[in-house]
Amino acid sequence: MVNSSFSYLHENVSYCYQCSKCSAGCPVAEDMDLLPHQIIHSLAIGEDSEALKSHTIWICAGCYTCAVRCPNDINITSVMDDLRKKSITSNLACPKPEVLKFHQTFVKDIQRRGRVHELRLMGEYNLKLGKPFNNVELAPKMFLKGRLKILPPKAIKGFKTWSKKLWNPKN
Amino acid sequence: MESEKLGFYPGCTLEGSSSGYAESMLKVFELLKIPIKELDDWSCCGASSAHALDHELHLALNLRNLSLAEKQDFKELLAPCAACYHRLISTNNEFYLDNALLASLNDQTGLNYQGKVKVRNILDFLIHQVGIEKIEKQVSHSLSSLKFACYYGCLNTRIPRLLPFDKVEYPEGMDQIIKALGAETVEWSYKTECCGAGLGVTAEEISNKLVSKILLDASAKEVDCIVVACPMCHVNLDTRQDKIIQQFDIPKEIPIYYITQIMGLAFGIEEQFLGIKQNFMPALQI
Repeated sequence: MVNSSFSYLHENVSYCYQCSKCSAGCPVAEDMDLLPHQIIHSLAIGEDSEALKSHTIWICAGCYTCAVRCPNDINITSVMDDLRKKSITSNLACPKPEVLKFHQTFVKDIQRRGRVHELRLMGEYNLKLGKPFNNVELAPKMFLKGRLKILPPKAIKGFKTWSKKLWNPKN
Repeated sequence: MESEKLGFYPGCTLEGSSSGYAESMLKVFELLKIPIKELDDWSCCGASSAHALDHELHLALNLRNLSLAEKQDFKELLAPCAACYHRLISTNNEFYLDNALLASLNDQTGLNYQGKVKVRNILDFLIHQVGIEKIEKQVSHSLSSLKFACYYGCLNTRIPRLLPFDKVEYPEGMDQIIKALGAETVEWSYKTECCGAGLGVTAEEISNKLVSKILLDASAKEVDCIVVACPMCHVNLDTRQDKIIQQFDIPKEIPIYYITQIMGLAFGIEEQFLGIKQNFMPALQI
């Protein structure tokens, strides 16, 4: 898709002059298939299809190192957010479904009562992954240390209805 | 009316798996005589997932809490969780830069936020509001025999398009606090390197690799403890450390404490009131 304004949703990627500072400082660069500066370059020339299919957008840790270092003030971390959203709304196959499933389960849990119940979130995430015993070795110790709350937090009155208007999980 | 000025936004983690952070912070504030009141009816800020899926959803979730704070007459809202802080302050800043966006979101969500609340993180508040001098005066149990690595992580210091409260690349505020408690802090290279945050759940191998580098550098500096100001950093550095030190040949376990737990100890507050038993790694020997 060629975006005539050269801005990728929220950010003007045409300011990029390919200094690669973003990629040089990225803590997860070695696990990425496209480096951050390559992502930005592909968007600036109006070719976002590779970026949308990349692993990169799903393993970005969201640390904002690239965003605060960019000499042209492009919030690259926020571009990654926008790419994720677009890949979902374009119905593209997600190369890291375990990340997408986590985010979806998380937002669903927020919508349930307004606050996250960590125990339920992790349980539901494992079921969604089809790996019921994922991370369970931590659970007994978390419980004994008082870090695992069995009971859910209080439900915020009216939150569910309010938030459903903003976000439909099927999106 | 003083007591109504500072609001406390705990967020889901401080109410859940990192309740020791909230507990120690409230104890320390009580001793320093800083009135603080929990934001009534708060809801999740969405981190780490809402912004990852939908920018407007992230803005709306934070707008709700900012609007509640304004309605409840809080001039400032303190978010000790670095992720909550980042979400709240970046939302606030986005509204400041784009009034039309705020108006349109107020409209869509049925809220009426005017942009009057100031969002602060724990380090910013301790350094610039409380002040190092006041912290120093409160010390009854000097930590002079101990050496700390101050780990700032990502989200307290890296906020795009905002004047930072500390140096972004090499912050020093937490070091100043620890020094005021009588202890030594080290110069090290991993102060602001990422621990992987939510990748600890979704891509553990990547997060473990990042954590191992942080632990290795701290270990080379022979520190007694790493101090954090973020529940995600704490979970990643503390709860999986036994596995990580085996996998990456890290010589010994390093205790991971919240800044407020360390302050509490130096102020003479008993461990049982600081949530220290929640930490997985062995307790500091003082």
